[in-house]
Amino acid sequence: MDYTIWNVAPIVLLPFFAFVINAFIVKRFTSLAVLISCGSILGSFFFAAKIFFDFINKFSENYYIHKTFTWFDLSYANMPFKMDMGIYIDNMTATMLFMVTGVAFLIHVFSTYYMKEDKRYGRFFVYLSLFTSAMLALVLSENLISVFIFWELMGFCSYSLIGFYYEKEGAGNASMKAFMTTRVGDVFFLFGIIAIWSVVGSVSFVDIYAAIAAGKFSGLLALGLPLATLAAICVFLGTVGKSAQFPLQVWLPDAMFGPTPCSALIHAATMVAAGVYLSLRCYPLMEVGEITYAISIIGGITAFGAATIALVQTDIKAVLAYSTISQLGYMVLGVGVGSYNAAFMHLITHAVFKACLFLSAGSVIHSLHDHHTHAHVQEMPRMGGLRHKMPYTFLAMLCCTFAIAGIPFFSGFVSKDRILGDALLMATHSKWYWIPTILGFAGAFLTAFYMFRMMFLTFFGEPRDKDLYDHTKKEKISWNRNIPLLILSVFTLGLFYAGSLTGQGFAKVAGERYEWFQTLITKPVVSEFSSRTKQAFSFSSTPSGLNFEKSQYDSSHGLSEKEAHHVHTVHHIGALVSIVIAFSGVFLAAMMYLWRKWNPGFWVNTFSGWYRALQNKYYMDDLYIKVLIQKGLLKLNNVLAFIDMGIYDRYIVDGTAFMNRVFFTVAKTTDDVIVDGSVDLTGKSVKAFNVILRTIQSGKIQVYFIMIILVLTGYIWKLSL
Amino acid sequence: MVSLSSYLFISFALFISGLAVMIARKNIIAILLGIELILNSAALNFAAYARFVNQNIDGHLMSLFIIVIAAAEAAVGLAIVIRFFQIKETIHIDDATQLQA
Amino acid sequence: MFENFLFLSSALLTLAGALGVVFTKNLMHACVLLLATLFGVSGLYAVIGADFLAASQLVVYAGGVIILMLFAVMLTGGTADNDNKFGIEKVAAMGSVKTYIYAGLTVLVMSFTILKILANYMRTFEPGKLAPFESTVEEIGTLLVTDHVLAFEISSILLLGALVGAAAIARPRKG
Repeated sequence: MDYTIWNVAPIVLLPFFAFVINAFIVKRFTSLAVLISCGSILGSFFFAAKIFFDFINKFSENYYIHKTFTWFDLSYANMPFKMDMGIYIDNMTATMLFMVTGVAFLIHVFSTYYMKEDKRYGRFFVYLSLFTSAMLALVLSENLISVFIFWELMGFCSYSLIGFYYEKEGAGNASMKAFMTTRVGDVFFLFGIIAIWSVVGSVSFVDIYAAIAAGKFSGLLALGLPLATLAAICVFLGTVGKSAQFPLQVWLPDAMFGPTPCSALIHAATMVAAGVYLSLRCYPLMEVGEITYAISIIGGITAFGAATIALVQTDIKAVLAYSTISQLGYMVLGVGVGSYNAAFMHLITHAVFKACLFLSAGSVIHSLHDHHTHAHVQEMPRMGGLRHKMPYTFLAMLCCTFAIAGIPFFSGFVSKDRILGDALLMATHSKWYWIPTILGFAGAFLTAFYMFRMMFLTFFGEPRDKDLYDHTKKEKISWNRNIPLLILSVFTLGLFYAGSLTGQGFAKVAGERYEWFQTLITKPVVSEFSSRTKQAFSFSSTPSGLNFEKSQYDSSHGLSEKEAHHVHTVHHIGALVSIVIAFSGVFLAAMMYLWRKWNPGFWVNTFSGWYRALQNKYYMDDLYIKVLIQKGLLKLNNVLAFIDMGIYDRYIVDGTAFMNRVFFTVAKTTDDVIVDGSVDLTGKSVKAFNVILRTIQSGKIQVYFIMIILVLTGYIWKLSL
Repeated sequence: MVSLSSYLFISFALFISGLAVMIARKNIIAILLGIELILNSAALNFAAYARFVNQNIDGHLMSLFIIVIAAAEAAVGLAIVIRFFQIKETIHIDDATQLQA
Repeated sequence: MFENFLFLSSALLTLAGALGVVFTKNLMHACVLLLATLFGVSGLYAVIGADFLAASQLVVYAGGVIILMLFAVMLTGGTADNDNKFGIEKVAAMGSVKTYIYAGLTVLVMSFTILKILANYMRTFEPGKLAPFESTVEEIGTLLVTDHVLAFEISSILLLGALVGAAAIARPRKG
């Protein structure tokens, strides 16, 4: 099977060209622009699907496509400075491409329903196209620099879409906050890239793996830390910013100012997942930098902390935003405990069910129209009983809630349980890993609780705002509202991702070939990369070889029988615990909000301090504003301003200006007397000569003509006679 | 009577007339008329030589191209005249002594 | 006999027209006299068997160029441009004694030269036997698309350029 550039390039270029075209035509031909956007993403979905199915069905699990071309080459003597650009496709990339294009296409379709009445309907699609192409390009990138470029491009799209309703109060601030907060992480990411460059001399993933295998990082120190650790921390801080992890998670809830479909695409399914994707790509670096434990702690704190905040939210989108942070925490926890495969699986399953949850929430919000304020309602206290009004949305959202809460046979259970099982396994080896493990399990319990709380408050019980309820139309099936929800909710079934519930042969419901995820997504073995050579970037087909038979899935991972037994036992225990806590979370939510046996107000009163802390998001926003910004940054600002105005401006800039003036006076005198004098002399002599010529140059054509004739005659006489 | 020398004389007369028109006239259109006369004399020469000397029709082709070029020249020349008149409200050649409008 | 009559009348028409173009005081008359010259040249072409050239001369010059000239004359106010826009009388546009003296001198020099060359040439020229007349249209057509195809194409581009250029130059502009 040969791949050429034409199999891969359209995936990125179709949405990009859609963006370029739409940017020009969107004002005049809005519906055509929307059609172009949706069509282009459908086209790139087909290309991605071909790659994806080839990768899972045809190719061996080690198959990869890696093509580069030289971007620039500034090498000088023995100082190499050469940057390549290119694509790198392995199983993970192929899966990611398929997920991103698929989810993006469904969200495009849903947007034609959700944004239809908006006055900036077309512009929304312009941003979506740009975002999608940037995300796809990031996934295909083969080196950290191009990842960084598209990373920033996505940041810009996110910024514009959060501020999409810029008339709304706070939308502008929210977009600025998102942009600036992620910038903190991005700066560190850039430092990380520089650190890697300084060691490897290249930023290509393959070169980095090869350098790690060759032990280039060992023994290098910087700032008193091993260089590998420093680089790994910096790259991971990029993830922390983009994926809204613990210290920098404050921007994501505010990002909900954007339109709901863009929240689904950018702030739930794809962009925030790009951070985790980066961590997975750089996993060998994290290992060699020995920061995996710190990563797991960060992930555990985020997973648990965000889940607790989600408990008290009343805005339906805010609940989903915090649940997104929490689930991203699980992915990072998975990276930290070495559960490479499960972390990526959770990324994929989360993208599907969280996109569906957001779209369902969008469907609910769009239907609830307050005819007093002419605004859409997204406050859960005003909802209730909506399952009678919108049964199809309800069903889709229920599937996804099952998935996220970790009910067996749904995708979220499969992936989250594998992460927690691996965490438990780590904890049996090293006692320090009990902390993230317990945080993870507690978070799972809270997840089940707050998600079902949201479901019960929204769809069950009596309608709490009778007026709003009565004015809501009964849901009719429409293709662009329900079909995306339907497709996404079908893919919340665990069967699509794994044949068994824990991935270790437990509760096996289907054959080996359903274990494609386990087989294909494996930790990069760095030693394999030393021998790999880059392929030239060509337009003709280049067979990349390596087309041997797929090996069977080996559930024992090459462990000895005793160890394998231990692994299985731990995973089974983890699965059982997961199931128990998921159902207990659901039960608690049902007792409080469905059957109303226990009054939630009692808990609020008992733990009122905690309640306030949760409502204020642990005061982290205030902390950042008061301490970091007012105490720190503003002070720093004043100091810098003083340095700038008092020192630079007064002495250096003004001094330079004074010196310039002195020099200028000298120069002017020289200029006037000597230079101008000689220039004038030239001019005068030319002018004197000019008087003779000017009488001939009268500009009268006939005079010229007579001259031509006379000269011509002269020639003729001279030559022929 | 129909001979090369008579044709060459007629052609010579046309050329001289054209030359005189181009120098004597001060009206741009009249000068263009003179150019037409000169072009015609050249074309007539080609045709006459083709008939009496070469005895093939390559000369005819040359005359044909001269006619084509004359037509193009007339079109562009007159367009320039009209434009010039729009700007200066005159077609006197002595007003056209500057390149800028 | 008919040939000689045609030649004589054509030559007369040509020379008379050319002289008229030189000496008339009216631009409109000059155009019409030029037309007479062109008809005469066409007749001269016919006399030496250049039927296609004669037809082209009539169609292109008489039908095209002269009409264009007349339009230009009318658009630019005919002969009445003795006054410029400031109302100051200028040199007579159709020429003055001074310009005719210049022209006469130049023509004298030039004609002297040309006649000298022609005389030299005529002394050595021996006319051979002339071929009988036949239609040249077919042969011209063949030559145009074979031997002279490049010139043919270039002239087509030239005509296109002239067309576009003329339209672009002469189009009325605001201000």
